[in-house]
Parts: sequence; structure tokens; C-alpha cells
Amino acid sequence: MSKKVLLHVGTPKTGTSYLQDVLFHNQRVLEESGILYPGRRFDAHFLGALDLMRLPWGGLEHEAVGAWDDLAHAVRAHDGTSIISHEILATASRSQAGRALASLGDPATTEVHLVLSARDLIRQIPAEWQENVKHRAALSYEQFLERLQDPAREGRIPSWFWGVQEVPDILDRWGGGLPPERVHVVTVPPPGGAPEVLWKRFSAIFGLDDVELDLHTERANPSLGVPETTLVRRINIAANKDVPPVHYRPLVRELLAHRTLSHRTGSPRLSLPPDLLPWVTELQDAWIDELKVRGYDVVGDLDELRGIAPDPEKWTDPDRPREKQVAEAAVDAIKALLLEAARQREEIDGLHRELAESRAALDRAHLMPVYRLRKKIVRVLESSGGGQLLLRVYRRVRGRSSRSA
Amino acid sequence: MTLQITAPPGRRVRWWGTPAADWTVMDGVRRAWGWVAALRSGSTTPWSAWTGEGEENGPWLPGAQQLELLRRINLESLRSGRGTDARLAERVLAASAPGRGTPDLLLAGGGTEPRFGPRPVDPADLPAAELLRVAAGLLAEDLAASRRPGSALEPDRRSWRESSSRVGNRARRPWAPRYALVGHPWLVEPAVESLARVGRGPRPDPRRAYVLGADLPAMIGLAWTARAFDEGGAGWSEWLAGLARADRLPPRADLVTPARNWAARIGAERVTVVLDPAALPGELGVRRVAGPPVVGGAAADLARRVGASLGVLVRPRRRSTLLREVLLPRLAGTGGPPVVVPEERWGWVAERADRMRDALSAGGYAVLGDLDQLLGQRATGTVGGDPPEDDVLALATRLLLDPVRVAEGAP
Repeated sequence: MSKKVLLHVGTPKTGTSYLQDVLFHNQRVLEESGILYPGRRFDAHFLGALDLMRLPWGGLEHEAVGAWDDLAHAVRAHDGTSIISHEILATASRSQAGRALASLGDPATTEVHLVLSARDLIRQIPAEWQENVKHRAALSYEQFLERLQDPAREGRIPSWFWGVQEVPDILDRWGGGLPPERVHVVTVPPPGGAPEVLWKRFSAIFGLDDVELDLHTERANPSLGVPETTLVRRINIAANKDVPPVHYRPLVRELLAHRTLSHRTGSPRLSLPPDLLPWVTELQDAWIDELKVRGYDVVGDLDELRGIAPDPEKWTDPDRPREKQVAEAAVDAIKALLLEAARQREEIDGLHRELAESRAALDRAHLMPVYRLRKKIVRVLESSGGGQLLLRVYRRVRGRSSRSA
Repeated sequence: MTLQITAPPGRRVRWWGTPAADWTVMDGVRRAWGWVAALRSGSTTPWSAWTGEGEENGPWLPGAQQLELLRRINLESLRSGRGTDARLAERVLAASAPGRGTPDLLLAGGGTEPRFGPRPVDPADLPAAELLRVAAGLLAEDLAASRRPGSALEPDRRSWRESSSRVGNRARRPWAPRYALVGHPWLVEPAVESLARVGRGPRPDPRRAYVLGADLPAMIGLAWTARAFDEGGAGWSEWLAGLARADRLPPRADLVTPARNWAARIGAERVTVVLDPAALPGELGVRRVAGPPVVGGAAADLARRVGASLGVLVRPRRRSTLLREVLLPRLAGTGGPPVVVPEERWGWVAERADRMRDALSAGGYAVLGDLDQLLGQRATGTVGGDPPEDDVLALATRLLLDPVRVAEGAP
């Protein structure tokens, strides 16, 4: 069987979480069809990307040491088709991309295909601001948009955004050395269409059409509305300095944003400000023209990257939200935190009970005459040099290092 | 125009210096490759002054950051009279700046102006911080590949207590008094190790505890330095601003908590706060007690940046070991003056020093020195900001040329 590697390098917010979850939970079924989706944990490819790009990520990078080499090793050892997928790979430099491609196997025997899924900037721009907010960012939407428009792209926000979103540049960095027929651009359908269309496109390009996959997944990266995003941003401003990343992730990102505020689907949705539409349209047109010239394999339609202009009447500025809506979201957030605090209190009470029972059992053991005699012997021995020596010999023979009897 | 080339004997330089007033796109590409070849051979000519051409020699042109860093290394190499290190040159050119930040940039005038991606730059315009990102990544690689002395036999870094206990027990004199040294770890660790070497290391069940400290501004600076060689984190100004904003002292600079803890364990009358290091040897009955390593602000700042890159290459425990036991000995005594508390933070530090003095005074502990020393001397005429990035970069280039890959004494 010939070796084939499908390397999916982005972009974020293009259904990647769903795809990766389906692939991870169907690893065994895929393997039976000769398809390898490597990794023992669901975020193995994310860790691999952190390792490849030496990217700190709130302490998670410590778990990523050697993760790319592990993925590459598994791919090289597999005789058949392998899939690697993570959206932050989009931001890799040319040398990182070169290293990654070289690590996947001998070009003479391994056919590497690059896959890039792309969505229109009309949806990507607000989605990226929201992702930033869910990762502790405190900057306003207006500040975010100003930074994106800065031609110098100085600073973390624009360099990251364009690094993972500027499709022609990503394909320059990753696909420069590949023939265009091995570079596949998957476009995300416009909003309002059948949700399975995107999956069908992924399925076609990854060769999954004939594999019986369980497409149900729990993992998702749900989006927030305007007042909810504003609330999280305000929480960031108030609490960032006091809440370390290790607590922020489960409490703010997971509990508040994903498990609570994302359920409020009736609030106004984030969108592109109407006055930025001409700028975005010009950019997208340039990208589409460029991609057409390059002759890549397109799964979907490049014209979908133009997006659908948002209704100016529905524009809601997240920097000037309706305070009543933010307050309602805040009440939901407080309720969720109260319930979580109550759950943790119950857990702490249970642990206290277990500890008290253990202590009582220990105290009972200490009252036993045999224990008291042993304790007295140890005390006597410790008071003299010879006794200490004897104790050391005893403990070494017994094989324990604790000093108590 | 003079082209400054220092090529090692026997190495062929693929460039030819035909000045061209007006570069075409193709000329620009050839000019860029010519500069790459010249830099590989030790050239120190800036991109703006470069006029030679060369053949394409790779799948892509290295980034502007990498090229400018190599030029700075060549300058340092020339200044210090070293030869060009071909292997280092290749590593620099192949490197990517780790972490988030500006991506690898193209050379302005080095070919077609790209329609997409970040704007090309003149490498000379890049801030030192961008070159430092690449340098720190390479230094982290050197460290990750290094071995510390005895590493084949010993596990990764132990805590100072484990370390001192082990060394002290091995060479302990039976008549040595039982004491514990606690307080600022940057002061405690070298003291414990030097005492252990003369058989006076701490013993189990101490009868007396010495809480080692210094004036609070110095302790805060030392806490940042210790942090730079351990978990890393923010730069000096940003870190200090965060502390002041939260009105929180770094745990390493807190003398009150260890004093209280030991008072609860052995009694306040057996706890001594040491603010005068000269008085400690006499108290312990030894000739001298080692002080902390002298580390300049730029050196600590470099360690902080290297540590951030190292965190992606090795596990946290090994990172601390490498920073403390391999990098620190190399950086000790370098990096200019240590960081100092700037004027605008003095009020906060003075207020915290007052509170610490009152708390220690209320504890009733013996004091070697004077609790009023906690306030320290207000540094006059010192700006007290972050160490200059150019100084940090200069230190980094020197370290790249004289790498820490194999630690002194390594088996």
C-alpha cells in the first residue's frame, strides 16, 4: 500500500473541532480501513502543533514536549493513509512547515497532501475576536478591528490573526513546495445551508466516504452572542490579574462561556461592522483571484469565501451593548458559578468527612499498646548515636525511609 | 563601497560585488541570496549597504530576523577575534522565532513585493526584541542539549532542602549546631550549600531558625532574578507593576511567613531575622557564608527569555535544572547592574517595608542587623526600568558563540 499523508493545517473556526472529534472517536474504525489518525489523547495534534512551533500556551506546552515527533513517527510507521489536523498549524513559518513536511516521510514514497479549510472573513473576523475574548483578551471589538487594519501588523493580535487567516500566505508557507493538485482548499458553505455539506466536503477530501463513522460528538466550540461576549470581556478586565490560567480555562472558558452563556441563543449575534464591508470585500476578492490562478484543488466553491453581507439593520456594537441584556447574561453566569460553588462545597464536605474518619482510625491505632511501645523504643534509640545507627540499619533492612515508627 | 567579509580559510564565498543602482526583481532575489552567502561566510555588511549577488541556495530565503541576527553574531565574532562558526550560521538561518509574535519577515528589496503576508523589512529596522526571540530559541536548544555535571547519576533538580539535607548529612560534623536557614531562597541556597561543604549544613529537628533577608527593594529584585532562572514570566517592569497593583509581595521576598512558621514550630525566641549578612558567619561559628550569585539585569532578562523557549523543549523540572545549574554559572557576573526598583514604585515598596518591619518587630524575633534596613537605600539617579534590550541581545550573541551545550565538568 502506498503512503499518503493528509495534513490539515487550518483555518480556525471552520468546523475543525467537530472534524477532529469525529476522527479521534473513530480511530479504531478508521484503522480498520487503513486510515491512521494518530494520538492517544484528543488534543495530541494540538500538542504536536505547539511542539512544532514551540508555542507557549498557558502551561500546556509542557505537555507538548516531543509531541510532533510522536505524531510524525506514527505516520512514518503507518503503511497507508494518515491524517494530521490542527488549525493552529496555519501560523507555522516556512521553516517550521518545511520541518513538518520533511518529518512525515521520504518524499519518494510518501505523498503529502495539504488541506486548508477556509471561511469568509465576514464571519471569521468577529469569530476570532470572540476566541480572543474566550482566551482572556480584554481589548474591545473596536481596538481589535483597528489592529487588524494596521498595515504594519505589529503586535500579537494582528500577527496571529493574519497568520492563521490569510489563506494565500498560509498556502505560500505550507504549500510552496507541493504541486498544486496536492493542495486542497475546502470552503465552508455560507450560513443557513444544510450543516452536513461541510462534513461531506471533509469526508470527500479525507477519503472517509466509505468508512462507517459515528458522527455524533460532544465536543464543540460554540459561539456566543453580543451581550455574552461583552460579559466575558468585562470579566477578563476585572479578574485576569487574579485568576491564573489554570483556573480560567475550566471556570470562565468552559463553565461560563461554553456550558452556560453559549446556550443563550436568543441574543444578537456578533457580526462585521457595516462600514468594514468594502475593505473585507476587496481583500476577499484579491484572495479568490489569487487562489484561482494558483490552480489548487478546490472542494466547494471559492466564491463562498466572499461571504454574505450582514444586514446593517441587525448590527449590534459589542462595545456599546444593551446593558439589560448583559445584566441578564450576568445573572445566568452568577447562577452557574453558584451551582458550581455549591457542588465544590459538597465535594469538600465529603472529603472532610473522609479525612476525619481516617484521622479517627489513625488515632485508634495510635492508642494501641503495641504502637505506644514501639514509639517509646524509637524515642529512646533516637536519643543516642548508637541507637540512631541501629534505627538506620533497621530501616534500611525494612526498606522504608520515613522517620516515624 | 567596501564589503566587509571575514571568510574562514578554504571556504568559498559565492558573491560578486557588482553594484547596481536600480534593482530589478530578479536582481533583488540574487542580491538577497548573495547577502545570505556572505553572512554565512562572516560578513558584517548591513542589508541596505549590500550590493553583491549570489545563487539561490535553498527552498526559501531565511527570514529578516534570522539574517540580521547572524550579522550581529558576525559582528561579535569579529570584535572578539573568533572565526566564523559555520554550524551556528546554519542553525541561525534555519531557525524560527519560537512563540507568538511577528512571523518570519521577508527582506525589503529582496525580490517581488509579496501581495500577501506581512510587509518585507530592512533588517536593520528590526527591534532587538525580535532578534532576541530567535536567539533565545537557539540558546534554549543549546541548553536542552546540554548536560549538567553529574547528570548521568543524579535525578533532575531537587529542592534546596533535599539538596542541603543530602550534602549536609554526608559531611556533617557531629558538633555542628542544629539550625535551619530559611527566608529568601536566592540568599538561602548558596548559604546552605557553602555551609554543607564545611560540614555545617542544616540538620533535622533544628533548634534555631535563621530567616535570611535583605532590604526589601533588593529582595524584590532578587525575587525577579530567581524567577527568571526558574519559572520565568514577565519582564521586570511589568512584573513589578503587577505586584504593586495587587499590593502583593513575591513569596520569595516575604520574611514574615517563614519567621511565623518557624516561631510556631520552635518558638519565637529561637528565630533570628538576618538582615546583616556579615554577622551570620560569626553566629554560625564559621569563617564565611556564601552570598547570592551576582547576576546583572540583562543576564536575568536573557534567562527569562531563554526559559520561555526552553519550556517548550523540556519538562518544567528539567528547565529549572538547566537554568540554575548550567545557564546561571555562565551568566553570573555578567549583564550589567542588577535591576532596581524605579522611582514610581518606591512609595509602594516603602509602605510594604514598613509593614514587614512592624510584623517582624511584633513577632519578637532576634535580629542580626536592623529592621530599619528593610527600607533600603533609595537609588539616586537610576532609572530603574527594564534592562536595555540591546544589552540583552549582546549577551545572547556572546553566549551563542560560546555555547553552553556541554557544561563544564560534564562527563
